[in-house]
Amino acid sequence: MLAKNTQTKALHWLGKQLFNRNDPAAFFDPLLEQISPMLVQGHTPARIEQVIQETPDTRTFVLKPVARWAGFQAGQHINISVEVNGVLRSRTFSLSSSPELWAQQGLVTLTIKRLPGGLVTNWLHDKLGCGTVIGLGEAFGDFLLPQPPHPVLFIAGGSGITPVLSHLETMVAQDFRAPVTLLYFVRTHKDIIAAEQLKALESRYGALTLSIIATDESDKPRYLKSQDLEAVPGLKARQIFLCGPMGLMDLANELLRKQGVREQDIHSTFFSTAAPALSADLENQALGGKVQFEKSNLQASSEGDASLLEIAEASGLRPRHGCRMGICHQCSCRKTSGTVINRLTGQTSGPGEESVQLCISIPHGPVTIDV
Amino acid sequence: MKQLTEDQLQELAQDLNTIRDDVLADLGERDANYIRRVIRLHRALEVGGRVMMPFGFIPPVFVAATFSLGLSKIIENMEIGHNVMHGQYDWMNDPSLHSQTYEWDTACSSDSWRRTHNYEHHTYTNIIGKDRDYGYALLRLSDDEKWHPAHILQFFNYILLSVFFQWGVSLHELEFERIRSREIRLRDKLPFLRDFVRKGGRQAFKDYVFFPLVTLPVAPIVLAGNLSANLMRNLWSSTVIFCGHFTQDAETFEAKDCENESKGHWYLRQLTGSSNFTGSKWVHLLSGHLSYQIEHHVFPDLPAHRYPEISEKVQAVCRKHGIGYNTGSFKHQYASVVKRILTYSLPDRLRMKLTSQPA
Repeated sequence: MLAKNTQTKALHWLGKQLFNRNDPAAFFDPLLEQISPMLVQGHTPARIEQVIQETPDTRTFVLKPVARWAGFQAGQHINISVEVNGVLRSRTFSLSSSPELWAQQGLVTLTIKRLPGGLVTNWLHDKLGCGTVIGLGEAFGDFLLPQPPHPVLFIAGGSGITPVLSHLETMVAQDFRAPVTLLYFVRTHKDIIAAEQLKALESRYGALTLSIIATDESDKPRYLKSQDLEAVPGLKARQIFLCGPMGLMDLANELLRKQGVREQDIHSTFFSTAAPALSADLENQALGGKVQFEKSNLQASSEGDASLLEIAEASGLRPRHGCRMGICHQCSCRKTSGTVINRLTGQTSGPGEESVQLCISIPHGPVTIDV
Repeated sequence: MKQLTEDQLQELAQDLNTIRDDVLADLGERDANYIRRVIRLHRALEVGGRVMMPFGFIPPVFVAATFSLGLSKIIENMEIGHNVMHGQYDWMNDPSLHSQTYEWDTACSSDSWRRTHNYEHHTYTNIIGKDRDYGYALLRLSDDEKWHPAHILQFFNYILLSVFFQWGVSLHELEFERIRSREIRLRDKLPFLRDFVRKGGRQAFKDYVFFPLVTLPVAPIVLAGNLSANLMRNLWSSTVIFCGHFTQDAETFEAKDCENESKGHWYLRQLTGSSNFTGSKWVHLLSGHLSYQIEHHVFPDLPAHRYPEISEKVQAVCRKHGIGYNTGSFKHQYASVVKRILTYSLPDRLRMKLTSQPA
């Protein structure tokens, strides 16, 4: 084992010398990709095996990642990367299948809703068919089932059901012996994602109590209310998992607190919708925001049109830079989240991870930078 | 230098910004496909060259292998490395094509290049004393610099620089002339020297130790082929770069004229300080489109394969503002570089006499 390890290390060192890159294995990718995109070494390729239409605007994509992918735990998410009009876009989605499916058949599923105006989700729905290959990241996230088994309440809304599906499938496979309740909020009954799968789970898995609530089918919206929670036996002894739109999450948190549920028993996971497209007019926008400099573990906030470079320098950081006018790209670095506005073009960036020029990027709301 | 009022400069900046914005708005799959195609060509040429080289004891194979490897280095340095490091493809968000992390196949480290070329040369283009690329502190190419008897031999120095171009470029940041004049100390340059040894050593190890050793019985052939391929790249890239700024009519500037300059003034300096040469599609590819040096200097971070497409528009802007657009055939431009190196090697009085004589 040790010998093999040294051998790999030596090979990696040699590769770095020969190909001038930290991921020498990826040097041949441009040629390998021509043979088969599944041979690529630079990222983890995954092929679409099947596409299932769940609701009019939601599809489940069955993926087969290459064997070197490290797997996941139920409730975790992954970044996927796709090239949209020449630009590599990366987005985070929850896995909706169980780790057992990956272990037994080498498959995972992503259940993705088409977001109005969303660049990537629309592209995925329009362009991703059987046989297409996309890039996969390793799984992350701590929206995990309690071990050992413990009573659980899931409150999910819309496509927030995806990590819960992974949990439920896993609970069945592991014979999770504790009461499980799912309150699933959908707009109308047409919008139920994985309706048949949920029905099958309910009949197969005795511990599960399922109630699906349509919010928009009566004259008055039917949101989560105290009675829904009071109807859950032993609420205070449960671990509670929330995943859904902002409004539902806030309401659930508030009502749970009123029922006396402790904060540490509530687990929520991210659920984001695409940021609305903003007008490019600099003057009309609220500029500035909280900036998180990740590598230096520093926070700063700004108002007005201070650039990220100026904000960094004002906080005592010395990021590499050059011309300070957007020419030389000395200061380009990675933005891991948040939106910035380009001072020269007035254009608003996407919300995801990408490269930005610090000297001409103005924060637009909270931003995280890898500096 | 052509004088324009601040208003005219502002108009010039607007005209050029429009060209730039049009390209930026149109960036997409076509540009991504272009650079990926060039990268595939590079990989195929490098793999081909390395695989053929050990069979170089057959003379035609030696020639093919050397050309294949030499071309691969030229394409990687000029069209991929140089352009990627300018941030021309940062918008693709592809980590292997990112300006700040790309490492190219030459002795100069990418970090050093980004400081001396992207920042110093592209910001202070042709300002005597501030743009150290102007003559590489080795050649006298304008009368802003006082003549010295050592300049007589500068054509010989030019040939040496071209032959060892990758090493000249990699030692550029050492600023040897400032160490010699005691302006800075060698000790200040230790971090740079460490970086130089690491990267230069890596390149020398690869081409002159590793590949010859793994093909031991034919090591001398592989060594000779690798040396020739590097020489081929050195001569070509040096020639292309000299044609970009040292042609007869490329202008130089004084630092005091460029203090607190506007974007329009910067644009004007880039337009008048650079020169193009014409040629086939392949010439442009192999020169990393630095044959469109003017377009490159005005828009260093637009994908280079776009320069031919916007050249007409840039020329129209030049005509509108009465600014010269320095272009000509490769032969003509290179001849004027050689002439410039030769004439400025002479004492001013002799040079004046020679150049004022009617042809």
